[in-house]
Amino acid sequence: MKPFVKAITACLVMLVFAAFAAEARAQAFDVKTQTLKNGLKILVQEDHSIPNATMYIFYRIGSRNERPGTTGLSHFFEHMMFNGAKKYGPGEFDRVMEAAGGSNNAYTNNDVTVYQDWFPSATLDLIFDLEADRIQNLSFDPKIIESERGVVANERRLSVDNSTFGTLYEQLSATAYTAHPYQWPVVGWMVDIQNWKMEDLKRHFEMGYSPSNATMVVCGDVSADNVFKLAEKYIAPIVSHTPPPPVTTQEPEQQGERRLVVKKFAQLPLLLIGYHVPQTASNEYYALQVLKTILFAGQSSRMYQRLVDKDQLAIAVDSNLEFAFDPTLFLVIAQPKAGVATTAVERAIYDELDKAKTQMVTDQEIAKAKNILLANFYREMKTISGRANTLGSYEVFFGDYRKLFDAAQEYNKVTQDDVRRVAGKYFGDMNRTVATLVPETGAEGQGAGAGEKK
Amino acid sequence: MKRRLALLFVFLFAATSATPARAEDGGLKLPPFKKVKLQNGLTVMLMEQHEVPIISFNFIIKAGAVADPPGKEGLASLTAGLLRKGTRSRSADQMASELDFVGGTMDAAADYDYSNGFAEFVKKDIGKGLDLFSDALLNAAFPPEEVTKMLKQRADAIKAAKDQPRAVINNYFNAYLYGNHPYARPDNGDERSLAAITRDDVLKFYQSYYAPGAAILAVVGDFNTAEMERMLADKFGAWSGKATAAASVPEAVPFAGKKLLLIDKPDATQTFYQIGNVGITRTNPDRIYVQVINTLFGGRFTSMLNSALRIQSGLTYGARSSFTQRLAAGPFAISTFTPNATTEKAMDMTLDVLKRLHEKGITEEELKSAKSYLKGQFPPTIETSDQLAALLTQLEFYGLDESDVNNYYAKIDSMTMNDATRVIKQYFPMDNLVFVLIGKASDIQEVAKKYAPKVDAKSINQPGF
Repeated sequence: MKPFVKAITACLVMLVFAAFAAEARAQAFDVKTQTLKNGLKILVQEDHSIPNATMYIFYRIGSRNERPGTTGLSHFFEHMMFNGAKKYGPGEFDRVMEAAGGSNNAYTNNDVTVYQDWFPSATLDLIFDLEADRIQNLSFDPKIIESERGVVANERRLSVDNSTFGTLYEQLSATAYTAHPYQWPVVGWMVDIQNWKMEDLKRHFEMGYSPSNATMVVCGDVSADNVFKLAEKYIAPIVSHTPPPPVTTQEPEQQGERRLVVKKFAQLPLLLIGYHVPQTASNEYYALQVLKTILFAGQSSRMYQRLVDKDQLAIAVDSNLEFAFDPTLFLVIAQPKAGVATTAVERAIYDELDKAKTQMVTDQEIAKAKNILLANFYREMKTISGRANTLGSYEVFFGDYRKLFDAAQEYNKVTQDDVRRVAGKYFGDMNRTVATLVPETGAEGQGAGAGEKK
Repeated sequence: MKRRLALLFVFLFAATSATPARAEDGGLKLPPFKKVKLQNGLTVMLMEQHEVPIISFNFIIKAGAVADPPGKEGLASLTAGLLRKGTRSRSADQMASELDFVGGTMDAAADYDYSNGFAEFVKKDIGKGLDLFSDALLNAAFPPEEVTKMLKQRADAIKAAKDQPRAVINNYFNAYLYGNHPYARPDNGDERSLAAITRDDVLKFYQSYYAPGAAILAVVGDFNTAEMERMLADKFGAWSGKATAAASVPEAVPFAGKKLLLIDKPDATQTFYQIGNVGITRTNPDRIYVQVINTLFGGRFTSMLNSALRIQSGLTYGARSSFTQRLAAGPFAISTFTPNATTEKAMDMTLDVLKRLHEKGITEEELKSAKSYLKGQFPPTIETSDQLAALLTQLEFYGLDESDVNNYYAKIDSMTMNDATRVIKQYFPMDNLVFVLIGKASDIQEVAKKYAPKVDAKSINQPGF
């Protein structure tokens, strides 16, 4: 499902599945919901096309709930959730689930930690038993913590140290934010990874892993009644406790361009530009998505046409705007061609952004963006996994999964003027952070590319 | 921020696909589809799937990277990539504009055995979509400026990829493992071969191989079969031309002995390595049994490799193994990565796990677990219209049929402990191994010597793989 190489090296991990148009409303899936006494909300979408089901559990805790010194704790905790509880000891969660035909994974980002199970529908009861055990009775074995610390350090080496994108993105975030917790990496700084204490982990568990702080989504070959019955049996007895304290820190307004350089052994430079934009639940979200689509989606997009096709300055240009509880970054990513100065790439990007600020986009472009967003929505709905992730994300980030079915209308409301207004408001030089990776061809170390230096 | 690397089941089917119907016996059946041969020789397969208002196309041209002329590696892939970059009646820009306007997707590339493309449209736009798709495939014009542009982009893309060890280790491994066999050649070309390709080469490749008799087309999604058949006949019926038969792929023979290639990347803080040899073909009768054993050895999270190298020791973030299946035997490769300082420990442990597989084999319980896992994880691989369309073209290309899916569960169930013992001995290399490492040579070159009598070295900045 997620190819090995793409997972991290492909710069853009798109968590943004928003999309649609008029038909999406008619396409609304029948979702049944129930909230347990302990506060856990459950969404169920039945689909019997394959004899499988998927369970996604969203916990509203991520790296934004961390503090300096324990950065990366949410992500590390995500790893520990697979390392043994009371009924199912170390290694048993995976061993038992795989032997029953299931598989699992999880992801952590700035805002949430999400656990994913994919399984034959006949094993639903077992999946509930496994999940309930670790939510309720996770164990904290010092030996396992040390071993897992090594795993996470290796994940960091892989996704940051040995990735030009990972290295640069980390520095961009650390520079674009001065106050807000989005400034530190989700995986954590290496020195923090090496220094977490048992107490930190236990405190984190108590803070984030209350049923009242979670949303469960089940899609696939199940009956909602049965899901609710099993939830009552396995999850309802788990007592809720105080959820994480609100994150009150707000990023102060940026008062001028920030620039940074990373020098790294590489053949090609890399360019990232971040603009502060509002959180997902903001009413400007839809206009930003339409603008993003016009600028970056497809080979007819303005940025591709300009940078890759006409001026031939870059081999790829893309953008990213993730779901976020708090004001976040609109990210522009460009891979310059060999021999092209990153400043030339920058100038072309700013020029295109300026056009969006000063001139109306065309009706045709607005219509195209809406069509692309609709088609993307259908693609996301093709799989039970895609549906579970999208329903849960809307419930968590928009506050109501039904917003998913309103999105078509919301996009239809976006006008040319809205697009010009958000471009003008956010894509200014005062609001941007520019990160450039400057290749070094290896002064130290042997055999570094004789004859290949540029 | 994934907890684990997704394990790559390359060996399952070179891809996979479809929304399966359930069978009475609890197995799975490929949904019904219609297969027709047009008068011009084009094979077409149609399968209705009405869950989402989307229609997916997949096509195969029976010549891939193996058909690249020597020194012009990457030609098949370039030709496929250029299909949408201008036709007799549309410029590349027009094609992109019209395609994006309907939210469609369309692209193509080359694998070793064949060239392969896809297109996907929302149901309401199928008329437009089919027009664009057929135009790209039948009327590609390869405008000179587009050829030049893409050649430059691809050469730079190789440089960018070499800045990420994980993006290129397969290329190095294939090149080193296969030697003179065509599977050694880079399917997307390299810095030198791309510099040697001209527009005439592209035209010649297209004229030689893109013809209805050498093409397979599948369409899956929200349509009526009779109606779609008429639409396809209308668009593809007039396609003419005779294909040159692609050269057959020679048999691939495992490497005898041990050899090691170390690629220096002086800033690396981890060593990325692959260990393996030549594996199995797509039609090997034992392929499902091999898959069962590989599931236990390196094909899932609790596999022997991942248990040892990650779960129990924390030496890596993920360790896995895979068999890639092709016309000739594709590679078997163990892959992982570890900090420079633990390279020796991790490699020793990898070889120990392989030795343990041979000496201790597997238990009844493990066999049962692997069977259950493969069966449970199979349906989502044939869930969507694009997965199904890709599966149909591949089954046809490899001379297989729906029984490959319909008998899959039964074949898994039929495997015995004796089969397991035989399969381990026959298909998992033990004494003959090829090693490829990308890492900081000054830290690991001494360690590297321990694993093979022959050690080769190069720098990641050198052209080629």
